Amino acid sequence: MPPELEQHWKLERQANLGQATLDQEPAAVQTMQEAAAQVLETMFFSEAEVAACEHAWLASAPCAMIRFEGSHCGEMQLALSAESADPIAASFLGLEPMELTDAQRGQVIQELSNILCGAMLSHLWPESELALASPELTAWQEWPDEGALHRCFLISEGMLAISVRLISKSPTARPVEE
Amino acid sequence: MAYRVLVVDDSPVMRSFIRRVMTLSGFDLGECLEAGNGEEALAQLNAHRVDVILTDINMPKMNGEELMRRLCADGILKTTPAVVISTDATNERILRMISLGAEGYMSKPFTPEALREELERVIGDRDASRA
Repeated sequence: MPPELEQHWKLERQANLGQATLDQEPAAVQTMQEAAAQVLETMFFSEAEVAACEHAWLASAPCAMIRFEGSHCGEMQLALSAESADPIAASFLGLEPMELTDAQRGQVIQELSNILCGAMLSHLWPESELALASPELTAWQEWPDEGALHRCFLISEGMLAISVRLISKSPTARPVEE
Repeated sequence: MAYRVLVVDDSPVMRSFIRRVMTLSGFDLGECLEAGNGEEALAQLNAHRVDVILTDINMPKMNGEELMRRLCADGILKTTPAVVISTDATNERILRMISLGAEGYMSKPFTPEALREELERVIGDRDASRA
């Protein structure tokens, strides 16, 4: 992401965090859980059950961040535990884990975040108009509990963590980059 | 009859996934061509006849919406059915893509069976209209 755009998003977050909160959306928790279970089962041939949050594993976890804009603006981050990334990516591609390249592993994590974010937002707000930016591989960020929706999931091969938060749209907001 | 399908998506792993689930689903896939965006798709379509196009929306250079406009404006290509595959399942997006000429819309996640049914439906509709 260009430094200018990163700075824009930083300012947006600082200016607007707390004005719109996803943790107050009644259907959000259930939607996140259902979307995670459906996406993992349907396209990644795995299971996802809500698990207790013990975040030590996130320090070494492959992670993707995706931003969305339109009638709702915000961002979602997703992390897979290190031991689960290869089996999940291999399952998606129909390969053996040892056949995977680093690029494929990263692309599958990006695709998982893209599918999960789209599924969740489309179910939450089917009448909305949303644009998703391209997911970026990054390090996990611990967000304040207030205003963000977060769950950890036990999946067949390890752990999955998802956090989503809204950022109020300001008149100066720039469109997401495709 | 084995069908030739063009998969248009900027994600190489998503193209691989779609190719694999078409085979897993029992769909009679003869050849799977690939393109990373709308421009590459049009180049493929100018060189090869295909039975159906599966296209993403958000892609660099030429996105799915522009690809659909180009297909509809082409007297020959507009007869090839196109199905949109997208993470965006909002009503507005679906209606827009259908209005641009898409004959089907698959929102992710989808099962192999659902993809096969959609492919067979649009190919069947095309064959019926030509009969």
